[in-house]
Amino acid sequence: MDRREALRSLLASYPGGRVVPEHAFKKFLRTSGLPAPLGIYLPVGAPFPDFSQLSYPLVAKVFSSKIRSKSDVGGIRLGLKDAAAAAAAVYDLMGIEQAEGVIIEEQAPPGIEVIVGGIVDPQFGPVIMFGLGGIFVELFHDVAFALAPLDRDDALRLMERVMGYRLLTGFRGAPPCDLGSLADILVTVSELMATGLLEEIDLNPVAVYPHGAMILDAKMFVASPAPRTASR
Amino acid sequence: MKELDHLFFPKSVVLVGASPSEEKLGGIALRNLLGLKGNIYPVNPRYDEIMGVRCYPSVADVPGMVDLSVIMRPAVEVPAILRQHAGKARFVLIVSAGFAEVGAADLQQEIIRIGREGKLRLVGPNCLGIFNPWHRLDTMFLPHSCLKRPKRGNVAVVSQSGAVMICLLDAIRMANTGISKVVNYGNAVDLEAPEVYEYLAGDEATEVVVSYLESVGDGRRFLEAARFLSERKPLLILKAGKGAGGRAAAFSHTGRLAGDYQVFRSLMKQFGLWEVAGFDDLLDAAKAVSYQRPAPGNRVCIVTNGGGSGVLAADECARRGLELGELPEVVRNGLRSVFPSFYTVANPIDLTGQVRIEDYREALFAASDAYDGFLVIALTGVAGVTLGLAEYLREFREKVGKPVVVHIAQGGVAPRLIRQVERAGIPVYRSPERAVRGLAALLKNRGGSHG
Repeated sequence: MDRREALRSLLASYPGGRVVPEHAFKKFLRTSGLPAPLGIYLPVGAPFPDFSQLSYPLVAKVFSSKIRSKSDVGGIRLGLKDAAAAAAAVYDLMGIEQAEGVIIEEQAPPGIEVIVGGIVDPQFGPVIMFGLGGIFVELFHDVAFALAPLDRDDALRLMERVMGYRLLTGFRGAPPCDLGSLADILVTVSELMATGLLEEIDLNPVAVYPHGAMILDAKMFVASPAPRTASR
Repeated sequence: MKELDHLFFPKSVVLVGASPSEEKLGGIALRNLLGLKGNIYPVNPRYDEIMGVRCYPSVADVPGMVDLSVIMRPAVEVPAILRQHAGKARFVLIVSAGFAEVGAADLQQEIIRIGREGKLRLVGPNCLGIFNPWHRLDTMFLPHSCLKRPKRGNVAVVSQSGAVMICLLDAIRMANTGISKVVNYGNAVDLEAPEVYEYLAGDEATEVVVSYLESVGDGRRFLEAARFLSERKPLLILKAGKGAGGRAAAFSHTGRLAGDYQVFRSLMKQFGLWEVAGFDDLLDAAKAVSYQRPAPGNRVCIVTNGGGSGVLAADECARRGLELGELPEVVRNGLRSVFPSFYTVANPIDLTGQVRIEDYREALFAASDAYDGFLVIALTGVAGVTLGLAEYLREFREKVGKPVVVHIAQGGVAPRLIRQVERAGIPVYRSPERAVRGLAALLKNRGGSHG
């Protein structure tokens, strides 16, 4: 199934909505061959699940279509080492106001954090963004853009255009990051944006390691039904 | 023949709204159009003849098909006038203002529709139009007493704004550079920058293109055309509307970081396009590339007769990503053996106030192999700097063939020296920093590739 068809059938499961929940989008990314953590989604009131398929430590995150920042409401619990800790975290998070459920995922090891995003620019159409996470994005707005879709070479060149690029290639004796894995993510995100079905994608952060990468948080925003065209 | 040849080299031009009074825009425009290598047909129902030329009551009365018609009538009259053009004109240049730029979007839509129905190519509205000194075509309603036209040359100007275009024309004239073609396309209902870029890519008279943009319409078409042109000749783009800030209502972090200008700037880099920071940068760079061809490398040698000016130039080199490598030992030893001990034999090479023009020649040829570009600073307040320097610089430029720019300041022979140096094909700047900016434009490995 091509990207467009796969994306269409994902969106069909959430008719009328502009947002696909994080856990469903991550599952979709995994099926598309991208690295996102294994996890399960517990809606409020669902029976307590069996975690045995997941490896510890786990992370639990509140899910709500109304909560913009999970960390602002204390909605993330990290380093859950066993079933008891996980159960306690789930119980707490379900109690947060407006909680619709809880996502439980395998906790990824720390890596260098980057941001991969997509937008529809009024003049240029679907555009992909890459930046280094944390202060590089927050303070220096150190990001670069490229037209979607990208091929792997385009993706590698896009990464080279951020100021903090050297952090990815082995700065101060650190091992170089797996730029190939990042390129795969950029290419796939660019193909999703190029379908014209989405208005925004935000993978923030993506942790990147000497081998591999992991999409830690993933959001998407569906294009409004009237397709946007380049405005004049 | 290319389609835009009819616009830039029209054999016949109609002026709707011609006036016998040179106090009026329609009279000024007619006066300027009368220089054309071709036929002019003024249209005004109140006159049989204007400025010695037969005048026609309407476009319909003009004999045959014309290449270009220029409309200078109030916006509300434009739709009716435009309708008369079907089958009579290839290009219609609508000078009149009063369309989308003042909120009259419906009126603008109407002229777009009439243009399509009549198979007319439209330029404007709200613009000054075309200036092509090689064909003596000048549609600008500005008297020569207010705007002296630049000479013929190799620089093309593509500008969305008329005001900025006029400033550029004046500055290009002052910089002793000349014009190949100018187009100001205003509200861009039909003709837009990409089509002009593609045309200029194949235009022999044009060796450099400077372009002022506010919006780019279809962004992808713009990027492709700009890349096509810039692979063939230098294209310098000045973009207005650099306001920071992303989409305030954005859903995601990405959306908040993706301001219109941030995206534009970054995509320019993806396509290897050359964006300049502001008006002065545009001029300094355009002047340099209109005099000389860009060359690879980024190592610069500075030869000066004033220590402070040399340091200012060196500082600007650092800011612009140009390298001032040390003089190679063999060059150092050679120059030390011929120069007085109080000259500084380093980079910058400081020939001091006791300079003789032969010293510039000596220093430049000694350093010629070790550097990619040369900046000569000649301060004319000392007696040793004479007009003969121009000849030495010409010889160096011709024999070595690498980019050379000059900063000349102070009094005495400065004005005559500037003229002679520029006649030798070497651009002169009035400050050390601006000279460095010119040189940076000529050296291909420019800094600042991020973003």
